[in-house]
Amino acid sequence: MATLHLLSHSPFSDERFASCLRLLGERDGLLLSGDAVHALQPGTAPRDALERLPASVALLVLEDDLNARGLSDRQPARARVIDYPGFVDACLQYAKVNSWL
Amino acid sequence: MARSLLIVSRQAPWSGPHAREALDMALAGGAYDLPIALLFLDDGVFQLQRGQQPGALEQKDLGANLQALPLFGVESLYACRHSLQTRGLAEDTLLLPVQVLDAPGLRELLDAHDEVVTI
Amino acid sequence: MKFAIALFAAPHSPASRRALRFAEAVLAGGHEIVRVFLYQDGVHSASANAVAPQDERDITADWQRFVERHGLDGVVCIAAALRRGVLDTDEARRYGRPAANLAPGWQLSGLGQLHEAVQTADRLVCFGGP
Repeated sequence: MATLHLLSHSPFSDERFASCLRLLGERDGLLLSGDAVHALQPGTAPRDALERLPASVALLVLEDDLNARGLSDRQPARARVIDYPGFVDACLQYAKVNSWL
Repeated sequence: MARSLLIVSRQAPWSGPHAREALDMALAGGAYDLPIALLFLDDGVFQLQRGQQPGALEQKDLGANLQALPLFGVESLYACRHSLQTRGLAEDTLLLPVQVLDAPGLRELLDAHDEVVTI
Repeated sequence: MKFAIALFAAPHSPASRRALRFAEAVLAGGHEIVRVFLYQDGVHSASANAVAPQDERDITADWQRFVERHGLDGVVCIAAALRRGVLDTDEARRYGRPAANLAPGWQLSGLGQLHEAVQTADRLVCFGGP
């Protein structure tokens, strides 16, 4: 029963990112949207934490939010950039979606 | 069989209506006899602090409502050990009898439910 | 597949647009939306009185059109809505308020409707935050 975790808060000003990583299961997925995309900023602790996640954890990034923040050519190789249809598909690939509201 | 819902309450009690609205969601599910579990995480564990005086802020007593959860059929109550420890809350001083979970336990709890809402 | 979509953030939050884009993609993908449920600050997305600046997207109008065009079950938590000043004509009369502002396409109801949607849908997807 793997979970897709949906984050939208910046990891630099908010605890959700850290708590989410603590709860993340090996088969879970992590979808960065909104300000959570700032976690991909190179040379930062959140970016390092994402790079260190087990290979079994899928890292997804919502395309609009990535592009808006000027990070479109700076995402890590393991990240998969998805559009809204891809977002819908991702929800169905996991048993449930945990949005960190 | 009814689908189970885990509600994760991670807002401090007096920072606005969000803690109460998480509780209301749990109570409403309990009233419909649905399998509901409630997990206190992050600042949400401050809801479990004893000796709160909400009257000082002209607020209703959230703690009293939390204690009514079992009466509404919501008996699966959990708190995150890391959240308690980092906030200086001792497990034996809490307002409610909750099961305190480490990270592996939290992951199992999440896995065991059909849906989750983290407020 | 059947989706339940719950929105917890105000219309000026990017989460409201994200939820709408997601909902559009759900239907475009041939899936079903069993209910759109507005809770917490999400209830403001059902206000008929929000006025967006002329050069900005009017997300409350977009939501209203979307719910009406597709005949969706758009439910607004009544307790959260009353607290935040989103009233239908019945509630405005009941509480002696000068105007109702619930946009067409939406109806006020209880939290039980969210739980029912969880039972009916294959996936609950919540939107909130920035």
